[in-house]
Amino acid sequence: MQVQLRIRRFNPEKDEKPWWGEYTLDNVNPNDSVLDLLHRVKWEIDGTLTLRRSCAHGVCGSDAMRINGANALACKTLVARLIKEGATQARIQVEPILGLPVVKDLVVDMEPFFEHYKSVKPYFINNSPPPENGRERLQSPEDRARYDDTTKCILCAACTTSCPSFWADGRYVGPAAIVQAHRFIFDSRDEGYAERLKVVGDTFGVWRCRTVFNCTNACPREIEVTKAIAEVKRALTTGKV
Amino acid sequence: MTAVSGTSEKVTRRAVQLEANFERIAYLGMRMSGIVLLVLAVGHMMIQHVLNSSTNLTIQFVAEQWRSWGWKSYDMLLLIFAFSHGINGLRNVLSDYIHNDKIMKGINVFLAVFLVVTILWAGFAIARFDPAAIQ
Repeated sequence: MQVQLRIRRFNPEKDEKPWWGEYTLDNVNPNDSVLDLLHRVKWEIDGTLTLRRSCAHGVCGSDAMRINGANALACKTLVARLIKEGATQARIQVEPILGLPVVKDLVVDMEPFFEHYKSVKPYFINNSPPPENGRERLQSPEDRARYDDTTKCILCAACTTSCPSFWADGRYVGPAAIVQAHRFIFDSRDEGYAERLKVVGDTFGVWRCRTVFNCTNACPREIEVTKAIAEVKRALTTGKV
Repeated sequence: MTAVSGTSEKVTRRAVQLEANFERIAYLGMRMSGIVLLVLAVGHMMIQHVLNSSTNLTIQFVAEQWRSWGWKSYDMLLLIFAFSHGINGLRNVLSDYIHNDKIMKGINVFLAVFLVVTILWAGFAIARFDPAAIQ
């Protein structure tokens, strides 16, 4: 099949403003991923196309981008998912994720995202002495299940950059940081939950969430992001973790 | 999500001391007033427009209703909850798009004064309403 690929391009050294690059790709297999198409453009048509990717298998989270208006990982998005069954032609539009400064073409500056990530102290805090037998700190399977979903985050930023509240005000910590906070707040072995709740209970914390569900739709790991945010809100309103 | 096979007794529950936080109070107020409005606003619409025909909804009809303190109280509660719910929603929308803290603080003060003055003014008008003057 033939695909008309429309890519948002921007080179800060040459361009005054972003522009759309149009590329025609023949012999596209519906099972090709959008990343495969971008590789074809870069390797066969225009080597200046800049994008970020690493594992190409949906694990590293490097290639989050806006594909046909919705955030997704380019490596996990198959052409077949974007076209009608049996179609011989298709148009696919690819843009950088929104809400973060564009460095070049599809590459954005992730620093503001990671600043929010770091603000929720995304690491294990426990100042109690470890068990005397030298073994690990135990917890019940039920306690482990409480934060199982939020351990799956790969920090691709698809959720945060799909959030209208984040687009409107970049000071909002965003869904990804709240997911990371959730992972530790509800870990029964962690003792830093009060510190984290203070951060996500701030003016630019969970209260900025308007329950739009864009984050849940965008997550390539199918984390129930809005539900995790609701659980943090509940902890903040009831005082119970 | 991993299935949980045990009982909730195996889940560790911990308490956390919450600090005073205006955003949390505003968030809870929004949810509580929303629930109250589901009863008051939907009830008001049903009574005024379904049980009574909209064509009969005249000043005389309202004056007749406001002979009773029950109806005056109902409408004053509707005024308080609907207006505070709406003003808080407006504050949320504005705070999304206005990033200057000083301007936002000024808007918050204005909205708070506007809310209190309007509720007092309209509440006073309802309380002092004289049905006999309409006849």
